[in-house]
Amino acid sequence: MSKKIDPRIPKEVGSGLYPVKSPWDKMISYHDAAHYVQRYTNVVSAAIMQAFRMLVPDYVERSKAMCTNAYNRLSYVYQMIPGYPEMNADELHMHPFMRGNFVGGLIGDAGDEDLLMCGRVNDFGTYRAEKELDICYWDLVGSELCRSTTQSLQACADHAAKLRPEGPHIEYHMVEARGCGDRHCRIVAECRKKFPMPPHEQWECFGPVATENQIKFTKEEDCIDESMMFREETDYLFSNGTNMEKDWRSAYPMVTRSYGATYILPTLDDLIREGRLTDEQVDYAIHCLCEAAGKATFIDDFAKEGLRVWLGAPHEISKDDGRLMGGYLEMFLQSLHAAYEIEAFNGEECIYAIDRAALANNMPKMVDAYLWFWYGMTKSLVNAQWSLWEEDSPEGKLRIKIAKKVDKFC
Amino acid sequence: MNYPYPVMYKNVYKYDDMKRAEHMAVRTTVGWYLWTHQLVEVTGPDCAAFLEYIFPKNIGNLAPGRERYTTMLDDRGEIIDDVVVFRMKEKKFWISTLFRMDMFRWFEAHKGSFDVSWTDITPQWEMYAVQGPKSLDMINAMIKNPVDNMKFFEIRANEIDGVSVYINRAGYTGEKLGFEIYFPKTEAPAMEEKLRELAKTFDGREVTEFQVMAWTLPCEAGFFYMRDLRHTNPFEVGLEGGINWEKDFIGKEALLKVREEGPAREVVGFTVADADIHIKGRNMGNEGEFVYKDGEYVGRCMKICYSFVKDTNNGTIICRKDSLKPGDKVTMHGHEAVICAPKFI
Repeated sequence: MSKKIDPRIPKEVGSGLYPVKSPWDKMISYHDAAHYVQRYTNVVSAAIMQAFRMLVPDYVERSKAMCTNAYNRLSYVYQMIPGYPEMNADELHMHPFMRGNFVGGLIGDAGDEDLLMCGRVNDFGTYRAEKELDICYWDLVGSELCRSTTQSLQACADHAAKLRPEGPHIEYHMVEARGCGDRHCRIVAECRKKFPMPPHEQWECFGPVATENQIKFTKEEDCIDESMMFREETDYLFSNGTNMEKDWRSAYPMVTRSYGATYILPTLDDLIREGRLTDEQVDYAIHCLCEAAGKATFIDDFAKEGLRVWLGAPHEISKDDGRLMGGYLEMFLQSLHAAYEIEAFNGEECIYAIDRAALANNMPKMVDAYLWFWYGMTKSLVNAQWSLWEEDSPEGKLRIKIAKKVDKFC
Repeated sequence: MNYPYPVMYKNVYKYDDMKRAEHMAVRTTVGWYLWTHQLVEVTGPDCAAFLEYIFPKNIGNLAPGRERYTTMLDDRGEIIDDVVVFRMKEKKFWISTLFRMDMFRWFEAHKGSFDVSWTDITPQWEMYAVQGPKSLDMINAMIKNPVDNMKFFEIRANEIDGVSVYINRAGYTGEKLGFEIYFPKTEAPAMEEKLRELAKTFDGREVTEFQVMAWTLPCEAGFFYMRDLRHTNPFEVGLEGGINWEKDFIGKEALLKVREEGPAREVVGFTVADADIHIKGRNMGNEGEFVYKDGEYVGRCMKICYSFVKDTNNGTIICRKDSLKPGDKVTMHGHEAVICAPKFI
């Protein structure tokens, strides 16, 4: 094989430059890239969730494990990163007179915005807060994830409160979840002293709340599909109730760092550490599920045609050309802000060396998930003669090759 | 409608006895609460001249012990903060803000050759508000030197149980009688206990709900919260009074143009008779409900809360200048609202 790079525009894409461009000069905007990367990472996350479900068949057990991990993981961030709580309080304009953990509502609101989970705050007070989301890219992963996100917010709120004068404690509770088929995601936080409810476990902060008659349900026709930073009527600025403002630049890097797998993989690590699962079991399940999910992506000819439009791929690139897969990967890698180098890009092979840390996002198994996902995808997008595999990766890189390969045990 | 529960929009204020009691304590007896703001100390030979340049109202003519509410503007004449500036000594000012980091950046950008410095003294000072008709009696029952003759916007050193404090006659509630106690943060537990016990003897209570201290009480009195003022200029929100046009200040050029041409928008008040409503106000951080008069778009809901004194939903709208007058009826998300002055008591 020649390792040559065919003429392509622009040759230098992949150096982390903005905006996102395909090898055939098809450009997508910052806005579209942010949406794309959230959707993409959560599709991979949905496959990883299925692996988790195979490994731990019991819903309650899974939910408990994820909720525990989510609370502890966010607690760790607040406890271990020097200055983080203070910076967070300043940035979000938590006022010195705000007592207790209702300030967590400010954290959740701003975080939702960055993750393109648009909606509205319906109530924000010391004893009750309500936030309603119309869009959530995490909604296809699974309801266990919905439960655990509530607990990560609870952890943020509880730790933010430690900087503040003592005050009422509110419990963050997910009433509706798009991941369950509801119209919205709805978090209602209530102080149990003021709004009592029967005792329940952490994973059960889900479903009806004490103040359900105060809920402000926004009808379908009034729902939105963009964050404030991308909407004209908000002057393309996110604002919260305490006068914090930020523009579209805040979407990155958050959209690349937070998605369903950032809740699932650390939970699987917990279970491995506790001896309830082994590394091999987890790796095998991720391999199987992600490969299958990848294969399912391009089973239809119209999906391949759609991809060609997305990439601006010319007709001289045949339907059985590995460069289609390469171009597809480049669009994702740029949207993820994962730097890569192109070693080969021609009709016989494509070779990329990708920044492994950017792919991993502190989760080594995420790299494996992508690898198997892309492997499966190559089989259906190009054809079964073609494969995608890791080969001779230098330190800190994932070096992948897309080419024809015979494997009698694949 | 795809919703598992009956949609009721039950009013989060009207039926809430706790919020009502806290709000009405301030209006009828006395309410006390933690009201610590960020406190910035500005010193140096040019401190007065520097602040004169930063703020559109007069600062240099403040006597020591007196204070002034003022906006802070950007180069476009838009309000970027509203603060109270205290002159503590000839060459020492305190500024009460909620956005100190933004303020520091702004000061740094405009320091130029002014010989001035500033420090965040928030970690040293706690502040409690004591507001309402019995606040003077309650304050006098705590302090060494009675404050009966204090003027509004006056701050004086005093003493509580041997602890040096400042008593400031001011407030964010619209009450004729209202005070703020500044004291060392280390004294907070003892001070809070004292306030709690003393309030009982005046039939008062602690205000604990953010919505009452930041929204319902100030809104009734026609006061703004900084979120309301974002991306407005002083003429649009009725805060142009007291601006010193003779001096140079940041935003003056842009503001002169607004004065000459007249503001494009203005703030009006409204009430909504429907008890249980779903109206988005910018005070929650969003675009603000669209306001329609006779089917025509005229503005946005700036703030929506509740007047416990009038027992009605109330709030403010920022609308096209002269598009609404008192008595007009408008709709917001299907609810009818009646326009009034943006002050409710």
